[in-house]
Amino acid sequence: MKKLIAIALALVMVLGLVACGGNTTETTAPAGATGTQAEGNKPASDLKVTAFWYEESDVYLSSVRNALNKELDALGVTHDDQFAANDQAKQLDQIKTAIAGGSNLLVVNVVTSGAPDTAKDILDAAGDIPVIFFNRAIGTEGADVPVLTEAKNAAFIGTDAPEAGHIQGKMIGQYLVEHFDEVDLNKDGKISYAMMKGEEANIEAIFRTQYSVEDADKVLTEAGKPALEYFDAKNTDKYQVDQGGAWSATAAKEYMDTNFVTYNEAAGNMIELVICNNDGMAEGVIASLQEKGYNKEGAHVVPVFGVDATDNAKALIADGAMTGTVKQDAEGMAYAIAQAVSGISEGKAAPEALKNALTDERFSIAEDCAAKLYVAYAPYTGE
Amino acid sequence: MTNPVKRLQATAEEFKHKDSKDKKRYIVDTILNNALYILMLIFIIYTANKQPNFLTWGSFANLITQVAAYLPLALGIAGCIVLTGTDLSAGRVAGLTAAVSAVLLQKTDFANKMFNNLPAITPGWILVAMLIVVAIGALIGLVNGFFVAKFSLHPFIVTLSTQLITYGIILWFFGLNGNNGQPISGLSQEYKNAIGGAMFRMQNVPIPNYVAYALLLTVLMWFIWNKTTFGKNMFAVGSNAEAAKVSGVNVFMTTMLVHTLAGAMYGYSGFIEGVRSGSVAASTGLNAECDAIAACVIGGVSFVGGTGKISGIIMGVFVLRIIFVALTMLGVDSSSLYIIKGAIILCACALDMRKYLVKK
Repeated sequence: MKKLIAIALALVMVLGLVACGGNTTETTAPAGATGTQAEGNKPASDLKVTAFWYEESDVYLSSVRNALNKELDALGVTHDDQFAANDQAKQLDQIKTAIAGGSNLLVVNVVTSGAPDTAKDILDAAGDIPVIFFNRAIGTEGADVPVLTEAKNAAFIGTDAPEAGHIQGKMIGQYLVEHFDEVDLNKDGKISYAMMKGEEANIEAIFRTQYSVEDADKVLTEAGKPALEYFDAKNTDKYQVDQGGAWSATAAKEYMDTNFVTYNEAAGNMIELVICNNDGMAEGVIASLQEKGYNKEGAHVVPVFGVDATDNAKALIADGAMTGTVKQDAEGMAYAIAQAVSGISEGKAAPEALKNALTDERFSIAEDCAAKLYVAYAPYTGE
Repeated sequence: MTNPVKRLQATAEEFKHKDSKDKKRYIVDTILNNALYILMLIFIIYTANKQPNFLTWGSFANLITQVAAYLPLALGIAGCIVLTGTDLSAGRVAGLTAAVSAVLLQKTDFANKMFNNLPAITPGWILVAMLIVVAIGALIGLVNGFFVAKFSLHPFIVTLSTQLITYGIILWFFGLNGNNGQPISGLSQEYKNAIGGAMFRMQNVPIPNYVAYALLLTVLMWFIWNKTTFGKNMFAVGSNAEAAKVSGVNVFMTTMLVHTLAGAMYGYSGFIEGVRSGSVAASTGLNAECDAIAACVIGGVSFVGGTGKISGIIMGVFVLRIIFVALTMLGVDSSSLYIIKGAIILCACALDMRKYLVKK
């Protein structure tokens, strides 16, 4: 009996490995189109693209991946995806393994954002192979420029990390200028806000947290209104952060529930505006507000702002429960990467290949470095 | 149970007859054994002093609501700890079952609905959906239990494996039907009401239905732990598996059942999780087992095995939630929050071990 089970277990392992092997051939199957070049109508490419993702469960990147795989299929290049499970060391191993396996174009979504040294390690491992970094910044405030310039065959496609915060801030400022009295529940002439931060040490989260308030304040003061005021004077951080670093709705909901005990309409110090680093947290905040009887049809709506423009956030905005979000253009990002890939397949160096993507105003080359392409964010307040 | 007043009198009588050295040791021991509770009391008084709102009915309602949400996971995992094991798959199982319940109970007219040919949302279907996800949780628990019991593998390694497998299933599930990893939302109002509907309000803070369900579960678990043969066997196996085997306890069956029961509890946790936050993402449930394990250990469910009480688990969950609520209300910055939480868990475990070492 024991032996039987042991044999069964061994079989499961073998099957598992075979299934994984099968999967790889399946993902490269579109490239099988390359093999059938005799009848194929597209010129075959000998590019083998491997895309490295920091984490598989990321909502926005899932949209990018889906769009990118379609674009790459259309280009007729061999491609596969690798996931690092939020572990930079693991990603480096994956990159080295992929190079050993014959990949000749690396598309990398680094795990540790904002660390030029990490990017340097990846470029060293890549050697002459072109590398396209995307989405997660490899350095901020120009720290990535030397790395990219020195590498010659590397490029970065992404968003300008602070931009989401700037756009969110301006959107909030404009909304408040138009709806100031309506939002100011206790009529004290000031808007008290809460801030939900997604992750303590994430560069995007830090910028969003900082610039959304700064820019909103700028718009408000220009219009002659007082600046925003954090609802809890004792909290010098001026934000509440998901301690698991998961940007999660649950964390935001628990903070709001707890805040509500001390800060509510009856006490005259209700939170009048909630700014969230992403749409997931905004959903949690809205769940909490709805429990207390706000943000429903016919009730007062506390404006809640997020970033990402996920399908759920769009639905909430359409229902009137959420006020605005910042759209990260997933299709645009995938399109830009695919254009750069096609540029490289034409024999261009990576920074040159970026120019293939400059087809409309969504894309721009960074001012400080020719090897950086930015995909624009856009405010979203409903269609 | 003897009359508590009489018991106290007896202790006092005993205390009088001790000499001064013994008296001193007795007092120190009592303080040390209850150090956590004394510290919590001081902490509560301090918080209430700084932030009077902390001791209001509204605040209490908020606290209870959070405890009720975290309790089922802890109640489940406690059984595994009593068996000197642990369960690392708890959070992911709750994540998977949260996703399944959300999909089964989405609004029928929701634009991004994942599966279209599901029954209308009736109380019956909500109950069936709950049974389905509890069964899914129990099934994963059964797999855990089987490998632990059959191959004498340490639960750490077994549940680590199932944690990974479950996460894989979650990622696959979120990619189904063109969902492409988007969070699942658009939960039906009937489902939301059944779980999160307010039973009554305390100072305008609603007490959701799941507080009552948590209470029911606690009673059920107390009964299982204290009044059934299975419960007694669980403690016997936890204290000494060899001895239990010799005295005729079916160790294999007991281990399997403890893990299955734990899995069922994670399934239930997942069932309420989606409603709590309004949507379920692939990362839902990540690391949830850490808080649950910490709560159990703080509450005296020892890793040494064979000891633990339901009341202790409740205390443990309360302690962790009080820390969260109080520090949030005090506006403490997040770095201190981590440090304080870590320090409390460490002290609690040290005190717990001390009791055990003294006994030895």
